[in-house]
Amino acid sequence: MIPGPKSQLTTAALVAVILIIVIQLYLFETVLAAVLDGQRSVLPGALAVSAVLSIVVLLIALKLPSLDRHY
Amino acid sequence: MPHWKKSFPVDLAEEGHFSRREFVRFLAMVSAGFTAGIGYLALRKQPLAGAPDSVAAPVGPLRVCPASELAPGNSRLFTYRDDRDRCILVRTRQGTLKAYRQTCTHLGCSVRWDGQRLECPCHHGYFEVDRGFPVQGPPTRPLSALAAVEQDGFIWVIGDLPKPTLSQEKS
Ligand code: FES
Repeated sequence: MIPGPKSQLTTAALVAVILIIVIQLYLFETVLAAVLDGQRSVLPGALAVSAVLSIVVLLIALKLPSLDRHY
Repeated sequence: MPHWKKSFPVDLAEEGHFSRREFVRFLAMVSAGFTAGIGYLALRKQPLAGAPDSVAAPVGPLRVCPASELAPGNSRLFTYRDDRDRCILVRTRQGTLKAYRQTCTHLGCSVRWDGQRLECPCHHGYFEVDRGFPVQGPPTRPLSALAAVEQDGFIWVIGDLPKPTLSQEKS
């Protein structure tokens, strides 16, 4: 069966979400290491980036209609 | 059919079924957890336990132990700024005194002396004892160092040392 455009969209969304989780993990690890080193200046920027990534994942999780389809 | 299967009649094929949306929702919670963690670090005013505190007033000299109690190649644990500020004092085989905070600069586990290097057991990170630079494993930053001296038959820790840089190391 050839996957339709909706199926591909869902797969792309899943890949994007997993990629974001990997970035979040790396970001958290880096920020924690910096804070343990006494460098707190990275925190505001890291928090902003992390919040944006979380909002993207939340939007995909709540709003993407094709996630409910069964293939 | 085994007895437990009669008691718990769960169809495993059906049990493993969950939708893509449920999966992505779960990942969204994980992502929000990371954001909350960074938010907590940003809101927290005090430094994490064992992290150097650049704004705190300098702590005076601390008498750690009689010099005769620390033979070459041995180490001793002590606390410096407060009870949570765990540090390690090492007398190298050459007899030099070195003191570091025990907090690993990767994710904060406590380093220990393995006779040659400082070792972090959590992810097998290693730091050389001379200046506290990471030499193996995930850590990328040097340990926070303290100045230790021997005087009047005792070993004293007299304060924080500035963070070493790689360019200093090369010179
Ligand atoms: S916490 Fe020390 S190596 Fe990871």
